[in-house]
Amino acid sequence: MTRTIRDLMSRQKWVAIALATIVLAGVLSVVSPVFLTVSNFQAILVQSSVTAIMAIGMTYIILTAGIDISVGAILFVTSALFAQLYMDTESYLLAFTVTIVCATLLGALNGLLIVKFKISPLITTLATYSIYRGAAIHLTGAQNIPVPREMGFLGNGRILGLPVPILILLIVTIIGIYILNRTRLGVYTRAIGNSERSATETNLPVNKVLIAVYGFSGLVTGIAALILLARVGGLQSGIGIGIEFTVIAAVILGGTKLSGGSGTVVGSVIGAVFLVLIDNGLNLLNASPYIYDIVRGSVLLAAVAIDRYSAVRQKASLEAQRAERMGFGGPHRAAQ
Amino acid sequence: MKPFLRFLKSYPALQIIAALLIGFSLLSPYFLTSGNFEAMLGANAVVLIAAIGMTVVFLAGGIDLSISTVISASAVISGLVMAQTDSVAAGAVTAVVVGLGFGALNGVLIGYFRLTPFITTMATQLIARGIAFVLSQGIAVKGTPYWMLDFGFMSWLGIPAVTLVALVLVILSVIAMSQTTWGRHVMLVGSNDEAARHAGINTRFIEFSVYLFAGGMAGAAGFIAIANLGNAIPGVGDTLLLIIIGAVVLGGTGMTGGEGSVERTVLGVAILAILTNGLNLLGIPFYDQLIIQGVLIFLGTYLAMRLGSRGKS
Repeated sequence: MTRTIRDLMSRQKWVAIALATIVLAGVLSVVSPVFLTVSNFQAILVQSSVTAIMAIGMTYIILTAGIDISVGAILFVTSALFAQLYMDTESYLLAFTVTIVCATLLGALNGLLIVKFKISPLITTLATYSIYRGAAIHLTGAQNIPVPREMGFLGNGRILGLPVPILILLIVTIIGIYILNRTRLGVYTRAIGNSERSATETNLPVNKVLIAVYGFSGLVTGIAALILLARVGGLQSGIGIGIEFTVIAAVILGGTKLSGGSGTVVGSVIGAVFLVLIDNGLNLLNASPYIYDIVRGSVLLAAVAIDRYSAVRQKASLEAQRAERMGFGGPHRAAQ
Repeated sequence: MKPFLRFLKSYPALQIIAALLIGFSLLSPYFLTSGNFEAMLGANAVVLIAAIGMTVVFLAGGIDLSISTVISASAVISGLVMAQTDSVAAGAVTAVVVGLGFGALNGVLIGYFRLTPFITTMATQLIARGIAFVLSQGIAVKGTPYWMLDFGFMSWLGIPAVTLVALVLVILSVIAMSQTTWGRHVMLVGSNDEAARHAGINTRFIEFSVYLFAGGMAGAAGFIAIANLGNAIPGVGDTLLLIIIGAVVLGGTGMTGGEGSVERTVLGVAILAILTNGLNLLGIPFYDQLIIQGVLIFLGTYLAMRLGSRGKS
């Protein structure tokens, strides 16, 4: 039994974070009687929906061995665009369309800059982070703009008893899994992350795929921005500050490798939920909000350390097996 | 004249600085005054010191995202110690020791446990910020000694004391990088890790040491931040990460390691300092400055990279 779980964990990295999430949820349900209710469960999923949706896009980017620091700024600029457009035109259709299209284009612009100028994704998106954020404040004049009340449906409404943000998260997750595992784009995404050079040498459309991947991340960030606006009730100047690190943390906790090639969409979504569970637990313990960062950082460190340790052990056991097969006498033979 | 032109060409940052200096002197009558330059120098000492640390980490092929919040954490802890002891020396030592502590943590995890620099320092970034806010309860630490406040206002020949401290650290770092075995080993590890290991260099120790170095610099920057602002503010370093990395890459130090220098970073810091100062004098709002900064960081990096690769081929 333990063997099968360990096997599963080494092949499917997301199983580890899923188990950790279940354990944490178990602990929290012992600590607090309100934890194990359907409404609290839904609340946690709703709370994690924005980062989880963004994490799905980030998973693709990190799978190509890239990174996007500007997602928080894209979140902010698309929120600003929607609020401003709706205030000016009072047309939902126009505001929604323009927002989603712009979010996709801003993401794709990151991809385009990265492939055209060959500057590292980190520096490119650090620069666009500054540009997008500045543009958004320029656009709105640093005011807080309320969004119409009907918009709240996206944040608090229900369809068939299910909160809308959870529904949207579910749809984006399914699409994310489908593209990654069942389409050529998904296969190419992993291939580029495994080795950009071999991908280029085998004539894969590396540039197109990279632009598409960054564009996809922009698209889902735009969707996340609409949910966030609806939940918060309007544009605030603090939207998106620092969220890029939470999103990246969710992806890494979910078992996706920063070096590219290996990772899953499901893992990232569970990673985002896990981070909200931690906040939830600290909240139940009445911890100071300032301690949250320390706990998040420590959890992230622990996760990468455990991952590193298991990788080292796996490599060692593989080498031992190989040595045994080749008759050089692994540790087992020596013991006999 | 020719060697001078060649010198200018090999440092694209100098061309940008010259253009900015000329442009702003024409556009604003207040720009070319000693008072303005003194203010500009003083305001950028923290970024300069922190950027030295980031440069050395970049040169070794790594990255340290925690520098910004380690500045905050060491400022807060140093502020608390100064409030208790009323001793500036104790505060300075504390700030550097706290920075070294965080640097050692990063260094051990990255150098010896082989964790990825990006995630490791992202995690310690969160931890350092949490510590800064928990210990200060989220507000500025009161009780800065008077001598410390004086130190923030001191200047010599129009150069603020805080900038002199930064310049001394620059000179020491330049010497360490160009004249010592350690500096050469850092460059080697950055340009080719594998080859460095085969040459018998203790690459793990070198990686450990660059993060330790960057941590120490972040600590010193935290102390200078108190001198500048008069108080230890828990969020003081948080927003500096973009500017620090921007200054390093604008100067021409790449993230791939082995290419660049601390001297170049001084130029990178100067570009962003002059730009911010000039745009402020012209009354450009901060959000438009963010756009200009972003474009400049991108173009500057591209320019430095193009010139660098042309020089090689």
